[in-house]
Amino acid sequence: MKQKLLYVLIVAAFVLAACGGGSGGGATARVGWAGSPDTLNPGTAVLSEAYIIFELVYDSMYELNLDGTFTLSLADSVSVSDDNLTYTYKIKDGIKFHDGQPLTAEDIAFTYNFYRDNVDFPYMNGYTIYFDTIEATPDNEVVITLTEAIPNIDAQLVFLYVLPKHIWESADPIEFENVEMIGSGPFKMVEYKQNEFVHLTANKDHFRTPPKISEVIFQTFASNDALVQAIKTGQVDMITEMPATAVESLRGESNVEVVVGAPFAPTVTDIILNQVDPENCPTADGGICSGHPALRDRNVRLAMAHATDKKKIIDVVQLGLASPGMTLIPDGLGVWFNDGLADYEYDVAKANQILDDAGYKDSDGDGVREMPDGTNPLNFRLNWPSDSIDAPRTAELLSEMWGEIGIELQLQAVDPDALTAQCCPAFDFDVMIWGWGSDPDPNLLLGVMTTDQIPTGSSETGYSNPEFDDLFAQQATELDKDKRIALVRQMQEIVHNDVVYIIPYYDPNIQAFRTDRFTGWITDQPKVELADTTSLVVIEPVK
Amino acid sequence: MRVKEERKVKRFRYLAGKIGWAAFTVLFVLVLNFFLFRVLPGDPARAGVHDPRLKKEAIEALRARYGLDKPVINCFETLNPIEVGSCGVNPLETQFFIYVGNLFKGEFGISYHTNRPVAEILVERLWNTILLIGAGQILSIIIGVLFGLFAAWKARTSIDYAALITSLLAWSLPTFWLGIILLFWGSNNGLPIGGKALPGASTYPLLQQWGDIAIHMFLPTLTYTIVYMGEYMLIMRSSLLDVLSEDYILTAKAKGLSTFQILKDHALKNAMLPLVTVIAINLGFTVAGAIQIETVFSWPGLGGAIYEAVLRRDFPVLQGAFLLIAVSVILANLLADLAYSYLDPRVQTV
Repeated sequence: MKQKLLYVLIVAAFVLAACGGGSGGGATARVGWAGSPDTLNPGTAVLSEAYIIFELVYDSMYELNLDGTFTLSLADSVSVSDDNLTYTYKIKDGIKFHDGQPLTAEDIAFTYNFYRDNVDFPYMNGYTIYFDTIEATPDNEVVITLTEAIPNIDAQLVFLYVLPKHIWESADPIEFENVEMIGSGPFKMVEYKQNEFVHLTANKDHFRTPPKISEVIFQTFASNDALVQAIKTGQVDMITEMPATAVESLRGESNVEVVVGAPFAPTVTDIILNQVDPENCPTADGGICSGHPALRDRNVRLAMAHATDKKKIIDVVQLGLASPGMTLIPDGLGVWFNDGLADYEYDVAKANQILDDAGYKDSDGDGVREMPDGTNPLNFRLNWPSDSIDAPRTAELLSEMWGEIGIELQLQAVDPDALTAQCCPAFDFDVMIWGWGSDPDPNLLLGVMTTDQIPTGSSETGYSNPEFDDLFAQQATELDKDKRIALVRQMQEIVHNDVVYIIPYYDPNIQAFRTDRFTGWITDQPKVELADTTSLVVIEPVK
Repeated sequence: MRVKEERKVKRFRYLAGKIGWAAFTVLFVLVLNFFLFRVLPGDPARAGVHDPRLKKEAIEALRARYGLDKPVINCFETLNPIEVGSCGVNPLETQFFIYVGNLFKGEFGISYHTNRPVAEILVERLWNTILLIGAGQILSIIIGVLFGLFAAWKARTSIDYAALITSLLAWSLPTFWLGIILLFWGSNNGLPIGGKALPGASTYPLLQQWGDIAIHMFLPTLTYTIVYMGEYMLIMRSSLLDVLSEDYILTAKAKGLSTFQILKDHALKNAMLPLVTVIAINLGFTVAGAIQIETVFSWPGLGGAIYEAVLRRDFPVLQGAFLLIAVSVILANLLADLAYSYLDPRVQTV
């Protein structure tokens, strides 16, 4: 009975579906991903999936390349005034929006003002804080004057997607859902169904990089197993993410290639050591500063670093696929990453020696060391956000590893909001496992470690070093790129020496594509991002 | 004549009582629902945006956007709930009254996560859920009841045992596990394993669109049916066995009635009572969707929306979804009560 009913159902369905032929011809690249854009409005969007679509449908002044460098995109040239406060961009002629209207300096100036003036846009006006005025000239030029000279205007402009003035000037900046999504980029919006799919078609008239394929479809898969199965059976041509556990089985598939590398927007997993000095405790901003005093001692932090077996953590938590971490600045930042630093080797005996020498002895023989004065055993609270999948395993490993050197941990997962409240600027914790997403520019993550950020809540460790603060101020205005790189590298050396954080690893991006459908995926760059414009405009169907 | 009138009054009283209770429960849920999300820890304005770079002005603007800058109920200086403190405002400008007022206008608020109206999101998802779970429920009820009937009639034969074991197995299968097994099987046989329809299918002719949806529905519906039919079968079987052992069935047999007549006229109606309860409860929770099935097959239903809203602390969506579920469970129970009064008139006199 059951069999028959199901049989009837499936036959009926197939007959119905078959009576009109398949989807439209041409080369359609189907991308499987686990998320979906939260909104198509660039002002209010937060999720990275939304930004992937923005990159495809919009253009911005600069294009960010996979090696971390920037290319001028919408403008032919840029000139900078002698005081470095005025940038004049000569916009290319003949660029058109998808609805046929021309894209001019007017649209760009409108867009930048729009992002700046709406203060409740979560991200966009973070990139416009240095902008004093933005004007369009009759010669199709955009003139930006800054409030102070900054070294990285490219990094400010790269995410400011240019919107058509004729559509947005009358739109409600927050509630406008932007379903038509008129942009000027290499792909045009066809249809968007939240949590189902994003359907794009190629803009063959794109001024810079017209795609070779005809369509891209991003399809949402709510479970990882389905995502992996979809590429195995050819229901999608590429997947943007997968669990590390699936890598082995996919590597065995004949028509699938797995690529692992730094993500386009690198993320760092960090172990935060609360070392805020009581003198710096931001009591006016809710500072409680209940951290264990031993963590303020570099010797203790150094011993913990020596007792941390990063390779084991990577092997267990990331199945060996992540790269070991150094400082908060990830290797995915390319030139900004200081690859000349040597990490603290994993050496439990040495770690014990450091603690012995510094006077942290286990006087009562319970296996846990005490402060040099014999009180206050080295018993640290270790917290992590309860929505993290990897942190519990890391915490277990740390508890084992640090137990070897007489440091005891109390493990507890905490709700992310409660963790924020505990963290900063309250400093009501000892050790936390958390993470950062990095900008393409190192400024953001370096700023996290400055004294200025202790009361604002950005500083998680309470680290304060005047030398570091000075260097930070210098690099923030250093316009010579090579000099700035040298400063940034020097800063990484300082925080590495001071053991501000222990960084177990930089999170990898694991993607896979089918080799029997499209060729030309870009996989030889420092970063891996197949769903980015860089790959999607160059891939071609397999003949 | 008199007896009939009395029964009518009783019936009316019974119905009025049930409906009154249902209305009261809805009101209670409505109020509870509001405060539930106000006592949760964390700042909803920051919930969607986990970025420490967010400036103070931006946070304030976000709070104002979602109406969180207004007092929850009002500001009191004493414990006297009537005496509003000097810091108080017009009660109509408090979050609670705005919430209640909006509900009567059919507005559920704006999602923190997508900035879309909650009602719009819920309706979109609700339809998908009803489609999937509705089909699954109908199939599993039909198959389950028929199986149960058959097994009870052939009680203690090998057919009965086979049906019993199959049902027990099906019922005890973990839903997501069964779903993943079927997903592997289906994807190797060319069935789509994600979503509700092919992207771009909305331009197809209507009949083909339906076919496309039906194919996408196949695996999740199959999973749902297998898991739930076992439950219906077991209840149907045991309740029918109960009834079949009654004396009046023996009488019917003695009268020489056919098997079919006995089942149809004497046994089935009485055996349906426990099943109605279970069906009503299950139907009420239909709206909540089947989170596991929706997740395995990426079905864009309400269960998935609730799960996502929890992850993202999208309180307005959660609030709306909770209300929707509460109302539908209450409605389903009301319907069960009414069905009962029809199936078994004795309940009205209690």
